[in-house]
Amino acid sequence: MEAKPALSVQRSRASQLGAFGTSGAVPPSFPFLPTSVEGTYAKCSDALRVSLERESMQHPSSVVSPSSSSSGAVGHIFASSSGISTDLQFSSQQLEGKHPRQSPFISQSTNSGESVILPYSIGSKALQSSTSSHCNNQNNGSWCTDSLPEFLDFPATAQSCPLDGSDSGIVSIQSEDLSKQNDWQDWADQIIIDNDDLTSDLNDLLAGANVAEPEPKVLIQMSKDSINYSMLQPHASQQLSACATAGQSPSSNTAPAKQRMRWTPELHEAFVEAVNKLGGSERATPKGVLKLMKVEGLTIYHVKSHLQKYRTARYKPESEEESSEKKLTSIEELSSLDLKTGIEITEALRLQMEVQKRLHEQLEIQRNLQLRIEEQGRYLQMMFEKQYKPGTDLIKGVSSTNEYPSNELTDAPPNSPPQEISTLEANNSKGGDSTNLATTYSETSRPVAGNPKANDAGMVESPSSKRTKVDE
Amino acid sequence: MKMKFGKRLQQQIQQSFPGWRDKFLAYKKLKKLVKLISLAPSMLNKSSKTEAEFLHLLDYEIEKFNTFFMEQEEDFIIHHKELQEKIKEVVDIGWGANANGSPALEMEDKMEKIRKAIVNFHGEMVLLLNYSNINYTGLSKILKKYDKRTGGVLRLPFIQKVLEQPFFTTDSISKLVKECEATIDAVFPPAKATGMFHSQAGNTAVLVAGEDIFRNTVAALLTMQEIRRGSSTHNHFSLPPLSLPDSKIIQSLIVLSPIQIPS
Repeated sequence: MEAKPALSVQRSRASQLGAFGTSGAVPPSFPFLPTSVEGTYAKCSDALRVSLERESMQHPSSVVSPSSSSSGAVGHIFASSSGISTDLQFSSQQLEGKHPRQSPFISQSTNSGESVILPYSIGSKALQSSTSSHCNNQNNGSWCTDSLPEFLDFPATAQSCPLDGSDSGIVSIQSEDLSKQNDWQDWADQIIIDNDDLTSDLNDLLAGANVAEPEPKVLIQMSKDSINYSMLQPHASQQLSACATAGQSPSSNTAPAKQRMRWTPELHEAFVEAVNKLGGSERATPKGVLKLMKVEGLTIYHVKSHLQKYRTARYKPESEEESSEKKLTSIEELSSLDLKTGIEITEALRLQMEVQKRLHEQLEIQRNLQLRIEEQGRYLQMMFEKQYKPGTDLIKGVSSTNEYPSNELTDAPPNSPPQEISTLEANNSKGGDSTNLATTYSETSRPVAGNPKANDAGMVESPSSKRTKVDE
Repeated sequence: MKMKFGKRLQQQIQQSFPGWRDKFLAYKKLKKLVKLISLAPSMLNKSSKTEAEFLHLLDYEIEKFNTFFMEQEEDFIIHHKELQEKIKEVVDIGWGANANGSPALEMEDKMEKIRKAIVNFHGEMVLLLNYSNINYTGLSKILKKYDKRTGGVLRLPFIQKVLEQPFFTTDSISKLVKECEATIDAVFPPAKATGMFHSQAGNTAVLVAGEDIFRNTVAALLTMQEIRRGSSTHNHFSLPPLSLPDSKIIQSLIVLSPIQIPS
């Protein structure tokens, strides 16, 4: 019973996300990204270019194939967004030849003990793969010597998880202790590697300094003793076996208490069952529950905190009822008839419910729209990339991007890479750089017809018809 | 123009539960950073420092959202189960009580409590979804600003990642919300023909039932509408104006609430 709902939840999630690509071209987000980014990076400013380059390199590497690595491999390591930006940060730093240990600006930013993802390669610095055992909490080691050069960024959806063919657990690694201020150095010291197989892969990778190896099997997140990760639908142990959380083994060295579990109704169901078997919430011990649940990746700390919440929830409602009684009493004072009050209250609740439902409805619609908008953006980006891939017949490419009249792109950014420019110049700015397009894409000031369906039909057309604004 | 969003966000924050107020996006601060970045020539060290700070703050904010969201989600999941148990109890006992002739008042009292609990629970979850959404919107806007001001292309890839973050993958909560809605029929008497906007009901709603929640919800709806209204920079990344058929009526509900919500 447990396995199925979990599966269905996961699948529904995945399919839901996939469903938004009504255009039919809905690649899983993460493999999509490298392609789009690759082309894009060439066009943008240097710093960003590097970061995007970094991204594109790392994305292919973001696939962990648990099947290839042995037990304990990570299904999905979900790099927290710190991966997004810090990744970019590192890249730009590296390009500019800066030492990665930039404490000045790090300390500027608000306390982050967040995860830091090391760039894929760290130039000339010697890199050693670090196993979980040693990399944690080293205060002195510079991360250039200790750190892992990999950054894994996983989409949270199970789509990309090759496990079992099913959408198994998603591991999110997130830093939790945001109130700590850390140096890059410290962060760099916290590296989590999944297992030895992965380590050996890393060694290979390290051998080639600037290589964008497509399949690193490990994605490491660093965070100073505060890495959170969560798993989705982990309660079926079989499913989990291949999807053990990345931080699991190394986490024993870091502060496991800080890791965050993302609870799902199914997982909670399993929890409650275990608790009941053990005689109720008062009697059950975290250890016992943990054992009964048999959920890989679940630690006693997770269970403990969840149990605490559970106990509170069961005994707090009594006080809630008291306060609600008081409220009811005050209303009774307003009206002489209890019955009337009762009806009024019910109607009031109904009204409240309706308003809430309305909000929910709108939120759903809004969310769907947002997803579709981004979906289209990705699709368009991909198309641009395809047009301008090296080796592609550019004339052909240009003609198929005729939807973008050249007059809208007269202000091509001057920092476009030379190669592309020379070939593109032949075609004027028609279609422009994909970067340019992407940039002006988001700069369009023309109001969009409030009809998302139009976008579906004429995916490329609608933006072009709206785009009158040019780079400032 | 974008200040509109900033202002709206602030309003939303003011309306939200006290414990939530510092969990929203630091939109203003991010905006300032973008401005700084755009002012400094891109080659200067300073610019890249500010840029790094910007990126860093983005990460931090997302972490904040994730942590908060998952915390709430966990609480909701637990609460949901407990509520279901209670409902089951009441519904079962309900039948039993009537059959045995137990006092209807006691039963009615319990039902009232249950109804209130369900509605409030539903409301809180929806507000969490709103929280998620408004933060997403803010991120999207700030990234758009960044791209615009710096000529970068941060937005597209970054947003892709945001889409996958726990705080935005809200299906679990959405499901619980729908389950709540389904349960309502079991515990509410059949709806009267008067419809939703019986003014007396509105008064009572404000006074009685989950006052904060109700107020927040109404505010959230209006905020959403406002945010999506005439934004000056529409593009295909923008959402169309919100069509809220009952918007006038909903706005009138604001009048009933103790705190004035400027629209």
